[in-house]
Amino acid sequence: MSEMWINMGPQHPMTHGLWNLRVLIDGEMIVDVDPEMGYLHRGIEKISEDRHYNEVITLMDRCCYVAGFAWEHLYIIASEEALHLEPPERAQYLRVLCDEFQRIASHLMWYAAFVQDLGLMSPFLYGMRDRDLVLDLFQSYTGARMTYEYMRVGGVRSDLPPGFTDHARKVLDWLTDRFVEYDQLCLGSDIFRKRCDDLGTLKATDCVTHGVTGPMLRSAGQKRDLRKDRPYAVYDQLEFDVALADSADVTGRYLVRMEEMRQSVRLLRQVLDWLDRHPGPVLADRLPRWLGAPYAPVGKEGYLLKRNYPKGVGFSAVEEPHGEAQAYVVNEGGEHPYRVKFRSPVFANISAARQYLVGYHVADIPPIMGSVDVCVGEVDR
Amino acid sequence: MSTITLYSVSYDLASVLLGALGSILPGGARAAITSADVVTGLSVLIFGVILLAASMLNTILLIWWERKLLGRFMDRRGAMHVGYAGLLQNFADGFKLFRKDTVRPREADPLGFLTGPTAYMVTSMVIFGILPISTGWNSGALPLSLLLALAIFSFAPLFIFVSAWSSNNKYSLMGGMRSAAQMIAYEVPLLLAVVAVVIVSGSFSLTTIVTEQQNYWYWGPLVLALIVFVAAMLAEMERIPFDLPEAEAELVEGWNTEYGGMLFAFFMLADYLRALVGSILVVLLFLGGWTMPSWVPSAATSFPLAGIVWFMIKTYLVFGVFVWIRASLPRVRTDQLLRVGWNRMIPLSLLAVFLAAALVIVKCLPVFGCLPSVGG
Repeated sequence: MSEMWINMGPQHPMTHGLWNLRVLIDGEMIVDVDPEMGYLHRGIEKISEDRHYNEVITLMDRCCYVAGFAWEHLYIIASEEALHLEPPERAQYLRVLCDEFQRIASHLMWYAAFVQDLGLMSPFLYGMRDRDLVLDLFQSYTGARMTYEYMRVGGVRSDLPPGFTDHARKVLDWLTDRFVEYDQLCLGSDIFRKRCDDLGTLKATDCVTHGVTGPMLRSAGQKRDLRKDRPYAVYDQLEFDVALADSADVTGRYLVRMEEMRQSVRLLRQVLDWLDRHPGPVLADRLPRWLGAPYAPVGKEGYLLKRNYPKGVGFSAVEEPHGEAQAYVVNEGGEHPYRVKFRSPVFANISAARQYLVGYHVADIPPIMGSVDVCVGEVDR
Repeated sequence: MSTITLYSVSYDLASVLLGALGSILPGGARAAITSADVVTGLSVLIFGVILLAASMLNTILLIWWERKLLGRFMDRRGAMHVGYAGLLQNFADGFKLFRKDTVRPREADPLGFLTGPTAYMVTSMVIFGILPISTGWNSGALPLSLLLALAIFSFAPLFIFVSAWSSNNKYSLMGGMRSAAQMIAYEVPLLLAVVAVVIVSGSFSLTTIVTEQQNYWYWGPLVLALIVFVAAMLAEMERIPFDLPEAEAELVEGWNTEYGGMLFAFFMLADYLRALVGSILVVLLFLGGWTMPSWVPSAATSFPLAGIVWFMIKTYLVFGVFVWIRASLPRVRTDQLLRVGWNRMIPLSLLAVFLAAALVIVKCLPVFGCLPSVGG
């Protein structure tokens, strides 16, 4: 058979979103690939310039629909820096709570999608079932399962409901047991190892060249985790290890993500203990009035506040479940951010597709792209 | 064992029907309509209709069984709402597909596109005319029924490839290619495993093979052949871990990507017909068919139609194992599949054949009759 291009996407079971992977195949072998993004572009960065600071949070949830909290947190850190605000410590811990639960939920979603790509049917539902427990927790204190709108510039919206920490600990215990089961189902299977070992290899140097971050970089043995290297929120006060693997292949990425979930459980236990012992305010008390309300009061007062507020820029980098996300927020003294810019880790991870796909089989595309953990919402924004 | 046979049932039905019809007709017509030839002819027709209805009903029940079982493996319940425990869900699904329009891509070749699925289903159904279900419940004791069943069974890749190619879709074509390669590769070990059974039983007739297993089932002495047969059968049925031709992760739906409505239902139905045939063949060749071991109380084996009941129980259990495998294994890759097929399965099946021949030559087969095995 001569070479031919096939379009895997924009509507294809492999994509897990709306993007297109053009693949040049020779029989069953991949000769060349060409990822095409942009099908889901909603102009979130531009829309943000027309929104109040707190209204942008709504957009952040839609940026990555499986890791909404991570993107909220990313934006919040940058805008707080731009607005010269300091959130209370309890709010910082609550944000870490959100982040780490979100990491577990996102990785469980990844696990479900990844094993489904390999044809493993039952673990797909196990992953989704256990992710639902985490979503239930989110629902109990934010009221939403996916688009939370929970964090606020200068803190978080509300405190936890009574009894939350005990419930959360039960969920963590349950999840800890399930992780063992997941490993048995995947690593214990010969077919899984035959499919995933030495597959989609991307060495650390190539990762750095192409800006690939997150579990993909750590699976290549590179110890880089923004929670350690550039601590934000209260990560410097918490104990955890960076998940590492050295095989740089699909199995390595699996191992890293599984270990990250375990470390998240470890972090969450510390956070829950701290939250039990330290009640307090969750929103900064000296907020500009136009930040407290979703809509600025019409009239002179709001205008004056807007003019008098100091200018500033904010930058943040957050270890999102998919990799390193960065945000840049410019405050030119208005009610709206003057400019908002994000760096999506998945965009870089997909862009390097040629490096880790060429030379493998067509049947390897789903597990390799599955191990990259694609979230198209944040790629296109 | 009861003396009710499939033919006697259809003959009785035919004579009752014609008798009732004849009683309202004048004398001359009555004599013509109740003559032996007409009754025989009609009973043959009813015979076929019963076979068709039973195979379709069992296929649909099999889908239900898989959905429920798969649901339990996945910590959910499966179909629940239509009928008791979702028993009628598949009828609803089938009716929905039946009502849908048949969409044919403009670029597709009409002849191949339409005949492919039809022929695929028809050939799968024909096999049911050959398989014996119990003593007397078959369409005559064909001396080469096993060979005929397997020959018809191996038509499938041709029709899959025809429908895949005529769909004029890259994914369909790749799926069809994979399907053809896979089925041809696994045809060899499948047949070699059957050869082991034939050597031990000394017959190509499925009925004889089952009656030969009266004393000991063949899964004990021919355990290697059974393993090869089940693995090859999984590949022939295109089920996980060998479902690459319709690997939905990369090939969308494989060779039936372009099919919808009733043509898709044909494929679906034929897949499960083949799954049913596969399970039945495992039961017939290795698990003693409708016979039961002697330690089972005779009350459980002597009621009317006991053979069919036990046969069906065994068939559904065997299919349950297939579902279990589907629920717990990932899919292999094409090259791995073919390498396993040619490099592992064929030597293993040859070994199974040699073992079977050795067992016959050394005459140690009756030993298995003395062992307290399930088939004892």
